[in-house]
Amino acid sequence: MNASLPVPATITTIRPLTDDTTLYTLDCGLNTQNNGVASFLPGQFLELSLPGIGEVPISYCGFPSAGGAIELCIRHVGHVTTPLNRSVAGDAVGVRGPFGHGFPLDSYENQDLLLIAGGLGMAPLRSLLLALLNQRQRWGELTLLYGAREQGALLFLEELLQLAKRNDIQVQLAVDRLEHCLEGPPNCRVALLPALLEQLTIRPDRTCAALCGPPVVYPYLVSGLKRIGLPDERIHLSLERRMKCGVGRCGHCAVGTFLCCCDGPVFNYAQLAGIEGALA
Amino acid sequence: MPAHFLATKALEKLLSLLRKQGELHAPQRGDDGVLRFALLKAGDSPDLDALRTQLPPKKYLLHPRETILTYRAGSGYQEPQGRSSPLILFGVHPCDLAGIDYLDRLFLGDAPDPTYAARRAALTLIGLSCFPDNLCSCHLHPSTLKASCDLYLQRQEEGFVITSGSLQGTELLEKLKEIIEERDLPIPEDTRRFFGRQLPPPSQSELDAAMPDWQELANHCLGCGACSICCPTCACFDVLEFGGLDGSSSERLRCWDNCLFKSHAEVAGGMSFQKNRAERFRYRYRHKYRGFGQLKNIPSCVGCGRCRAACPAGLDLRTLAERLERGNP
Repeated sequence: MNASLPVPATITTIRPLTDDTTLYTLDCGLNTQNNGVASFLPGQFLELSLPGIGEVPISYCGFPSAGGAIELCIRHVGHVTTPLNRSVAGDAVGVRGPFGHGFPLDSYENQDLLLIAGGLGMAPLRSLLLALLNQRQRWGELTLLYGAREQGALLFLEELLQLAKRNDIQVQLAVDRLEHCLEGPPNCRVALLPALLEQLTIRPDRTCAALCGPPVVYPYLVSGLKRIGLPDERIHLSLERRMKCGVGRCGHCAVGTFLCCCDGPVFNYAQLAGIEGALA
Repeated sequence: MPAHFLATKALEKLLSLLRKQGELHAPQRGDDGVLRFALLKAGDSPDLDALRTQLPPKKYLLHPRETILTYRAGSGYQEPQGRSSPLILFGVHPCDLAGIDYLDRLFLGDAPDPTYAARRAALTLIGLSCFPDNLCSCHLHPSTLKASCDLYLQRQEEGFVITSGSLQGTELLEKLKEIIEERDLPIPEDTRRFFGRQLPPPSQSELDAAMPDWQELANHCLGCGACSICCPTCACFDVLEFGGLDGSSSERLRCWDNCLFKSHAEVAGGMSFQKNRAERFRYRYRHKYRGFGQLKNIPSCVGCGRCRAACPAGLDLRTLAERLERGNP
């Protein structure tokens, strides 16, 4: 089997989330035809091909094992994702994957989980969140901290506000600035993500943190988590790199002697400490 | 023990017999003065004394730019059709053979690459011993890579001792029977200089960006990428797609890429994980001497000396490797 060969998929729904970010649902056909591209673990990624344009690595965003359908939350910033914005439902794309290691769900058994997302980092963490909520009894306390530039940039806001009403998960939102919205949504503060950590009480010996955000916030989040007592091994981060092949050959995604496409993209901080340029 | 011996005067005969097996390529100096592997036409002689061709044989296995997939509306992405025709590379030195071993491990390991696999299967390697010059370091670099080939020619005073290194090589030897003599010779010392010594695992100080040696070397790097282009084991590639003018077809290309270029670690939006030249220089060093991914801990420098010959700033990673080696006896 050629790992570089995408299988055909069709865009079924397109839901704009913010000015520059869209949620796509793809139909990848039955499992026998799609090489298992729809069977993934939260945190893994796929390679999305836009014919005539190119290929990009994208994190899975939806609930794992939703038949042959996959959800991808895509920000239109790159040479493939910008033209993707012109796609309409019914358009053909190519997909291959899943690639890499996702969040270590099995090691989360009975643990308190702290999910921290910044900006577009909500996309892969939404997949994790949906997987966690699906088997809610397996885990301890669930907390989601999610920060974005401004209210309009908070992804899945309605979904998260619905979640916030549940009593088995704590949701805290933050925006850098209020802009013209003089009042933020409920559960939302004007603060930077690391500041949310300060007020948090966790049980460091039974808490795992799952992080996904822009590289710039990682050093602050990691030092914040360490300050509240979380050991390096319990801090899991999803790294962004330019994974061009997905199978450990093209050489673009190395982090120290790890490859993001095969060894990551989810790493625990103990693996990354001391590696030049690992976080930002 | 008798050895298979080929007299120098029978070389022309050997080459014409090899031509019957497929397209024969060997090192030759072109009119432009550049030494390169190229088609060896009947009557032409290979340059047997040449040490390093400008580009290593990787150009045959990984073309600088090649189509890996085609797309047509309706049928989707497909592998390109067509088979690789037999190619014989004559006069490949041990360092380049080891370079091919590294590429094999990279492209034929987990999930083999079909384009590479087809070319590799069609390739016959005829190795040739050599005498290292001051740019070579095959005898210094520890490596677990094997300089394996189908036939190996060990130079002697009046000819070559031929040994087979594969089943295919043994079959080929059969076909060369008429020109090979059996001579009672002392078994020559094998000049394939790969000792299989492992580098010690990297210590924190080695990878410390603030280490003066790093800074000193990295500050001189111009970032031109010549060292990576001519390296037998540098195989980073970019993936590009070109839409056809009909608007419904496209080709996906794989092109040589270069970790010394600014674009190498850039992601969408322009963020880069190797912002400055020194970081990119260290990235290359780490990859060469420490490996990553499935080839972690396999040093991939084969000591061919091409990067030293090509560097316009005269940089030599060997000095750093030697310093590190001395620090970790």
